[in-house]
Amino acid sequence: MALHNSIQKGKEITITIDGKVCKSIFGKTILEIARENGIYIPTMCYLTKVQPIASCRMCMVRVEGVDGFILSCQEKATDGAVIQTQNSELYKERQNIMKLYNVNHPLECGVCDKSGECDLQNKTMEFDVAGQNFTAREQSRPVENWGHVSYDPALCIMCEKCVRVSTEITGDEALQLKFGGYSSTIINVKKEKNYTSLGEAAAVCPVGALVSTDFKYTSNAWELEKIPSACPHCGGGCQMYYEVKRDEIYRVTNNYEFTSMCGAGRFGFDYANEDVTKDANAFTKAVEAFKEAKSIRFASSISNEEALILQKLKGKYGYKLVSPEARAYQNFMNAYASVTGKTLYAGTMKALSQSRGIIIVGSRVNNDAPIVKYHINMASKWHRARVAYLHPMEDSEIQNIVTQYIKYEAGSEEGVMALLADALLKEKELPESIKAFLADLDIGNLSAESNVGEEELETLKHSLDKKSGFSLVVGADLYAHPRAAQIAKLVALFEKYAGFNVICVPPAGNAMGVSLICDLDDGGEGYTIGYNAPGDFTLSALGEGDLDMPAMNQQEGTLTTFDKRVVPMNVALPYGGYVLNDIANALGLKAQYTINYTKELPVSKGFKAIEFDALPDYFDINGNENRGYLLESVSTPVNESLEEVAQIEEFDGAVIYQCNSVDQFSPFTAKCDLLDKEAVLLGSQQFAMATKLQNGDQIVFEVDGVRFERLFKIDTSMKGTIALNPTFDRGLSSALLFSYRFSRLEFERVGS
Amino acid sequence: MSKLVFSTWRGEFIDNRGKSPDELSESAFKLPETYHGEKDSKAFIGWDGVAIFDEDIDAIELASQYAAQYQQYSEACGRCAPGRWGGRILYDLLDKIARGEGSHDDIAHLKEISQTMMATSKCEIGKTVPKPILDLMEHYKVQFDEAINGQKPSKHYGKDITYIAKVTAPCTDMCPAHVDIPAYIEGVRDMIFTDSLAATRQTMPLAHTCGRVCPHPCEDACRRANLDEPISIMELKRLGADYETDHGLPWQHPQEPKALRNDGKKVAIVGAGPAGLTAAYYLALEGIKVDIFEELPVLGGEVAVGVPQYRMPIEKYNKDIELVTSMEGVDVYTNHRVNAERLKELDAEYDATLLAFGTRLSKKIYANNENQKMGGYWGAIAMLDKVNLWSKYGIGSPVSNELKDKVVVCVGGGFTSMDVVRCSIREGAKKVIMLYRRDEATIIRNTTYEEYHEAVEEGVEFIFHSAVEEIFDDGEKITKLKVNRFELVPDPEGGRAQLVKVEGADFEIECDYLIPAVSQAADLQLLPEEWALELTSWNTLLTNGKDYMTSRPGLFAAGDCEYGPMTIVNAVGQAKRAASVISRYIYEGKTSLTDDEIMEDHLAKLKVYDKKEKITGWMPGLPRAVSEKLGVDERKTNNKEVNLGFTGEEAIAEAERCMRCYYISMVAV
Repeated sequence: MALHNSIQKGKEITITIDGKVCKSIFGKTILEIARENGIYIPTMCYLTKVQPIASCRMCMVRVEGVDGFILSCQEKATDGAVIQTQNSELYKERQNIMKLYNVNHPLECGVCDKSGECDLQNKTMEFDVAGQNFTAREQSRPVENWGHVSYDPALCIMCEKCVRVSTEITGDEALQLKFGGYSSTIINVKKEKNYTSLGEAAAVCPVGALVSTDFKYTSNAWELEKIPSACPHCGGGCQMYYEVKRDEIYRVTNNYEFTSMCGAGRFGFDYANEDVTKDANAFTKAVEAFKEAKSIRFASSISNEEALILQKLKGKYGYKLVSPEARAYQNFMNAYASVTGKTLYAGTMKALSQSRGIIIVGSRVNNDAPIVKYHINMASKWHRARVAYLHPMEDSEIQNIVTQYIKYEAGSEEGVMALLADALLKEKELPESIKAFLADLDIGNLSAESNVGEEELETLKHSLDKKSGFSLVVGADLYAHPRAAQIAKLVALFEKYAGFNVICVPPAGNAMGVSLICDLDDGGEGYTIGYNAPGDFTLSALGEGDLDMPAMNQQEGTLTTFDKRVVPMNVALPYGGYVLNDIANALGLKAQYTINYTKELPVSKGFKAIEFDALPDYFDINGNENRGYLLESVSTPVNESLEEVAQIEEFDGAVIYQCNSVDQFSPFTAKCDLLDKEAVLLGSQQFAMATKLQNGDQIVFEVDGVRFERLFKIDTSMKGTIALNPTFDRGLSSALLFSYRFSRLEFERVGS
Repeated sequence: MSKLVFSTWRGEFIDNRGKSPDELSESAFKLPETYHGEKDSKAFIGWDGVAIFDEDIDAIELASQYAAQYQQYSEACGRCAPGRWGGRILYDLLDKIARGEGSHDDIAHLKEISQTMMATSKCEIGKTVPKPILDLMEHYKVQFDEAINGQKPSKHYGKDITYIAKVTAPCTDMCPAHVDIPAYIEGVRDMIFTDSLAATRQTMPLAHTCGRVCPHPCEDACRRANLDEPISIMELKRLGADYETDHGLPWQHPQEPKALRNDGKKVAIVGAGPAGLTAAYYLALEGIKVDIFEELPVLGGEVAVGVPQYRMPIEKYNKDIELVTSMEGVDVYTNHRVNAERLKELDAEYDATLLAFGTRLSKKIYANNENQKMGGYWGAIAMLDKVNLWSKYGIGSPVSNELKDKVVVCVGGGFTSMDVVRCSIREGAKKVIMLYRRDEATIIRNTTYEEYHEAVEEGVEFIFHSAVEEIFDDGEKITKLKVNRFELVPDPEGGRAQLVKVEGADFEIECDYLIPAVSQAADLQLLPEEWALELTSWNTLLTNGKDYMTSRPGLFAAGDCEYGPMTIVNAVGQAKRAASVISRYIYEGKTSLTDDEIMEDHLAKLKVYDKKEKITGWMPGLPRAVSEKLGVDERKTNNKEVNLGFTGEEAIAEAERCMRCYYISMVAV
């Protein structure tokens, strides 16, 4: 018995498929190699982005010298194999399988949403199955409405793709198989949750069995125009298509074979600023306002090109540019760069999904960035990743992914990062100054202040023993922290000295793009223009300002993604009003269209001088992403000096955490009909005791001057004295929030 | 005299229909002609053919019922297109013919669908079900033709015949605990690790343990070996258990535990080792009250105090133990030695008592001057108790006090002796020697390849073909050993090779410790003499090996104290069965087996695995995954777990090699 699995892995092999000599490496399946070489093998259940399912059996091939048919989707090719993918015998068996798939499958394609893009239709035609040759006793199985999606078992061919997505990709683990021969079916074991992530499972359904409930029976697939774009909500910039008919978005789809998106992207598409016409009067006032203004305050949910327009206006008129979240991120990344010497974090989402050890600090990741959670789930499922979740609040929604919760005191993030650095970096090769920094740490004190036990860190360290492929994911809790710069440097040490795949998840919107393009200011002064933010004169895509602006799905332009990619957005819905570029032109800039600025995005910050229309937007047959381009990380001066860890400001009593509910990110998602809009202060029983609040109490409080009137609800699955306070429902005001996400709660009861 | 009428089992062809008594042929296989007790079988039908024991058989109904069993079978079926729809069509068409409504077109369709199922199904169950059906259609064509031509029901259609089916797999059959191995491997392949664990726990509560230290007899019956190498079955078991522990999930029971019955019935279990824990778990799952009495201060038996930490981390084993002790109906009493008096009390107080006290006496090596009181003479069990009580629980004192810088000789060849020598290395012994009567290949066969090589790497010196003839001492302690050398002399008759002493090849070893680890015996002091319990010839408790009741009604025995020193998985299998029997015994006052258990025993006798079978439909040459181990320097001075387990990729790749050799068999009675 030799240890040959490790030796063979990655070894070069040569195989022959249908006479074509194909070079590849050991570990790839026959089907993968065939596809790389442009050789077609039919499949019904194969989904590239998950592990082979092997339920349809269509992909069987012949291998010379091997008896029986070989399943090409699952079987790895061995060196020298000679493979035949087509012959009369294979055709006959594949045809028989298609006959079986058609047993009792309803023939009412005319009323099926999937008709026109249905794999069953396509393969039935391909294999020339003209009738239903075999029959079996019909069973009566009603359609089930699961909320965002509906399931029709009579149409289901049990390919299992949806279950795989639910398990391997989104990790909601809501869909399962119920075995039982002919009566096998898909079940939803978490119906009460009504996960929007089931949209991702429905996306991969090859037939009309699992469909969006909202879209069902509203349109034939072929009547819809597919407009490729990128999702603007969380900052992930996921690939998507708006599917449009007669100036209405019917649904959002994606290239599900290779990429994924969260439920907010899929169901949160109806936020356009509609029925706007050109109001010349308002426009004139806007131009006047700009002439008077000293500052522009804006939310980061704008395109890169709009950010560049604002930056250019700053250059011309000396405005203060105020965008608190993007500014905090900018400062954080500047400090980060001062350690790594690079403007961008090096981490990628793909490497995250391939990690064997993942540490998350300072983000309620399932709410902040679902797509990041998906990638952590992939690592958990495919690589048995150890996942340590460091946060002041546990999150029961990710218990199936997390292997270690480490709870720290709100405010102690600097100490926590220092403790992590001490535990995990001490044995790495470090410069003397950093060694000295670590040696000088008062571990006992840090541990006591942060409430992170030394044995917890020991367990974490031990669980990463003998492993490689580590990721560190940090989030918005850190960016507005009073010690953000120091924290950023500590995070950067993990990338620089321990090879961690570090991702500093930008805040929602296009905060990364804005932070790279704009010279942001810490505060504004004087007469202020608000763009999707309150101001003395307000431009708003929410339709409640002094001049209307187009929403993101009404604009063309680019976004930056978590993968530091600049990707194109196209116009899904028409917009009849003025745009920022019109104002800029009136103020002396000169560009026919906003996208004329795409090629002018700052090369000094890693952008490329490429015309908008020249940006590619596709995945190739092997799943390689060719959307826009990757930002270049630019070298920056290095200054690794670290300060002494500061004393933490203690948060006594009841604390609230500014955190949106899952699927909500901004006032734009708040407009979407299909997304859950409930905005309540959600706390544990313990929180209720500490605040003497009762379930259903109505209270008022302020954060950063923004007034919140909230219903308080008890969530029995929560623990501790921190409550979740969403911000997405505050309209333009949500752009005013700038502080560290945790704050003390001082409230008044309504009506008392 | 066989009453076999017809058989196509495993490639044989016997047709005794219409033959005179002296022309009758007999099957080469142990077919279940008698179902149970007095009850005869009418037919046996399965993955590899069909055997008929009753001239009056209704072949159409037999085929139809077999197809029905297949398409109702819930674990394997429904996972591929040909199996899911094909199985239903087989049944519908056969039933149509049996009802008297069939046509010759249906026969053609049956053949076509059978061909597709056999060529393309995902698991063996779909590939093999058509075979006996086609055999019946061919060799009992007359019956099919009559039903079709006459448009009349088959002869026993709708009559009262019982069909008892059982799904198994070669690996499952070979596993003493009959673990549903393909199901737990599929759970890994599906990355639904909770399903994987729940599948294991149907018959095996010690998933952490048997995912680490099982000698995996199943792997010797893995059909994948017929193609390239067996699946790494044992290590894949660990994934589900680790997942539950790592994520702090609630216990994944194979079914919702039943509420405690509170009907006054209760069962006593003597010994909290693998057998005792297993029986307690399955009784408690049924809502039956169980009290476990354990002599040691800790739970877990030999796996806790015998198997070293580096091989079986106690924190993992404790999870398996907690699974059992977390059950509502289970109470445990540690430091509770059961002697003959106490056993009589238990026997009187409880509705049934299960003895599961293992074999905890180290046997002698039968050398001259062997004196168990001599300094330096240390029985393996006592030595490992001391090592483990200290290293795992902090009870007692470190064994390095005794063994540091000493020369240790162990006589053995099995797992226990491996534990002795590897622990001795870790306790700082200067030199550790293993004496074994037979050769390297045999020691590997008795233990595992990994175990032996890891011991060699850590510095254990193995001396094969050797045995101690005489022990020398200085009046207080052992000083040296005289060792004989043997050689294997082939038997000219072709029998087993004989060990023959090599004259003049004796040698001496100076040593401080001699640790005999040749075998263990049961400590039978607790059996009241007046009960006169029947014992086996090797002094363990005698049962019939099916219901595990001793010669005293209500007194059961399972695990090593019944079988003799054997594996954890053997103890689990016996205890699971005993728990099932006890769960009925305490209400009915007699032992009985379920149909599933009767079929299990039939299949074990028939043997499911066929070493010579040729495998088709799988790509050969895909290597078995091998998990990473700690390097020798990283492990030999400490108790860190040596085996790091599979990475996710390795586990999934290994699970994908599993051919899902589910088979369905059915008896008509």
